Amino acid sequence: MEILVQTLADGLVIGAFYSLIALGYTMVFGIIKLLNFAHGDLYMLGAFVGYSLLSMVGGGDSGMGLFGILVVLLLTMVIVGIAGMGIERIAYRPLLLAPRLSILITAIGVSLFLENGAMIAWGAQYQVYPLQLSHAGINLFGATITYTQIGLVLISALLMLGLHLFINRTLYGKAMRAIAHDQTACQLMGINVHKVIGLTFFIGASLAAGAGTMAGAYYGTVNFMMGFIIGLKAFTAAVLGGIGSIPGAMLGGLLLGLMETAGTFVFGGSWKDVVAFSLLILILVLKPTGIMGEKVTERM
Amino acid sequence: MKKWGSVVVAALLSLSLAVAGCANQGQGAADANEILVGVLLPVTGNNATDGKDMQNAIEMAVKKVNDSGGVLGKKLKIEVADDGCDPQMATTAANKLVSQNVVAVVGGYCSGATLPSSGVFKNANIPMIVPAANSAKLPAQGYDTLFLINGLTPDQAQTAADYMAANQAKKVALIHDNSAYAKDLADFAKAAVEKSGGTVIAYEAINPEEKDFSALVTKLKGLQPDATYFTGYYAAGGLLVKQFKQKAVPGLFLVGDGSFSEDVIKIAGADNAEGLLITATPTAEFIEGAEAFTTEYKQTYNNLAPGPFSALSYNAVNLLADALKRANSTERDAIKKALKETKDFQALGQTISFNAQNTLDTSNFAVLKVTGGKFILAK
Repeated sequence: MEILVQTLADGLVIGAFYSLIALGYTMVFGIIKLLNFAHGDLYMLGAFVGYSLLSMVGGGDSGMGLFGILVVLLLTMVIVGIAGMGIERIAYRPLLLAPRLSILITAIGVSLFLENGAMIAWGAQYQVYPLQLSHAGINLFGATITYTQIGLVLISALLMLGLHLFINRTLYGKAMRAIAHDQTACQLMGINVHKVIGLTFFIGASLAAGAGTMAGAYYGTVNFMMGFIIGLKAFTAAVLGGIGSIPGAMLGGLLLGLMETAGTFVFGGSWKDVVAFSLLILILVLKPTGIMGEKVTERM
Repeated sequence: MKKWGSVVVAALLSLSLAVAGCANQGQGAADANEILVGVLLPVTGNNATDGKDMQNAIEMAVKKVNDSGGVLGKKLKIEVADDGCDPQMATTAANKLVSQNVVAVVGGYCSGATLPSSGVFKNANIPMIVPAANSAKLPAQGYDTLFLINGLTPDQAQTAADYMAANQAKKVALIHDNSAYAKDLADFAKAAVEKSGGTVIAYEAINPEEKDFSALVTKLKGLQPDATYFTGYYAAGGLLVKQFKQKAVPGLFLVGDGSFSEDVIKIAGADNAEGLLITATPTAEFIEGAEAFTTEYKQTYNNLAPGPFSALSYNAVNLLADALKRANSTERDAIKKALKETKDFQALGQTISFNAQNTLDTSNFAVLKVTGGKFILAK
């Protein structure tokens, strides 16, 4: 019983990370139909920026206090959000009217640029995070769930809730949804499309950066390639939940995290990815648009 | 106007292509009074720390040889190529060294990367001395150009199994990371553990690119092992140790020499790494007669202590210099012959004589323990 609860808790934490990054993928795809391969690297960038900020402030275990950690988190999210906007402005905006393949290749280029740039800036080896979170926790049915894990899941949930409210209750959110439907009509209606796209990138990037900093603090190490595999998993999660759908990304992330953990528990570590991706294939075969995706008919 | 623009762009592109091609050829070409030695190491990637450490030792050895007059009246010059612990990168790097006409190669840390690169060197008939990589698959290829001076995986596995048996660890969990070296070591460990009467209760693999092993750790916790042996590299090893201790999994935790690095303690945290056991060839500090080496290393590299494979890398360079002297030529066949005939070459912590498989007959694997943030010999 305790192993089940423990597995569930672990799956939730991983799932929370996947969800945060999948959200960025899905938002950008929804709005400009671009699979931003560089998104995983924004997660990595967030982890490293958080690393630098914490090192500057002097790191230390709980000396900073929860408030200090949250400030660093917010600051990292803002910085990387601006970086994300910058990437959109420089690399993607000029190619919005070009063939789809060109912008995809640019995305790969940006990804390589970020990875190698990080390697040059912060070094090739694993860097240890200057913040080590405590491992006190509560005991639930025999499983240990640390306060850190609860905190991470809560922060992720809050961020996702915030995003949901933003998309559905504010004018900018409405504009984003409108642009996802029909970009030309929006321009005709007077919406500043470029500004809203930039905002989308900002939000996506800052969510990924938040996940990155939290992952760095939680696992303890960061390295310049960490964005690659997480980006792949998050992309899978986004597709699983229905790419272009925001609740889909949240669901997909959590589902993928749980499936991976369950797969390890039942079949063994070597089968973890096999199980997760087999389930992905199964779900896509049964529902090609993903769990919460909608079939979008192209109107000529 | 438009036409001119595209002509200019085309010209610039072809120019950049030509310049890129030229750049590689310029470096590394040795003059007549230099002997070019290739060095193949993971300069980037998860194993960069150990790679850098080996490079430091090699450069120190080369400088020493050159300062005492060089070999055959010429100076040694090294050309470093990055294998990134990846088979594809290693093959490219090996081909690059071959194209630069190196006389011999010193290097090889990840067996997974050394397997294909040793093939490239075999085809080019370039002798390769491997200071660190030690999967039994390497000599099994039967290349007469390949020489290994580190103890091999079967010996390491036996050392681990003996220690576990001596400490009444009957139920053993083995974890590898699907790399050639780790899987090899895990397989030998399985056989060795079963031979000494233990049982392997779990034989798992992890993906070293990932960070989260919590599911596997929880699973193993449920199985209550007496000892767990992780045979992969230190980047994942450190994280695994940390997560094991956080989840309070019972039993001893051993790692193979792929995880033998200060980084393991750093990544896991000094508290979690306390009591960690490592099967490895001891570092220079434990080798008698290596005090001078350790002091010199610290002086040359800003008080950095020599790493786990520095002594071996140092030995590799000196072995090559000795072979060159005995061969009295830089002909590859002559060097190969001289290496093969090495008899009782005195090096730090080892006396090198190659057996029929071009490996050493004796291994100096020991079990080390992390105590107070430092590696000491376990008893």
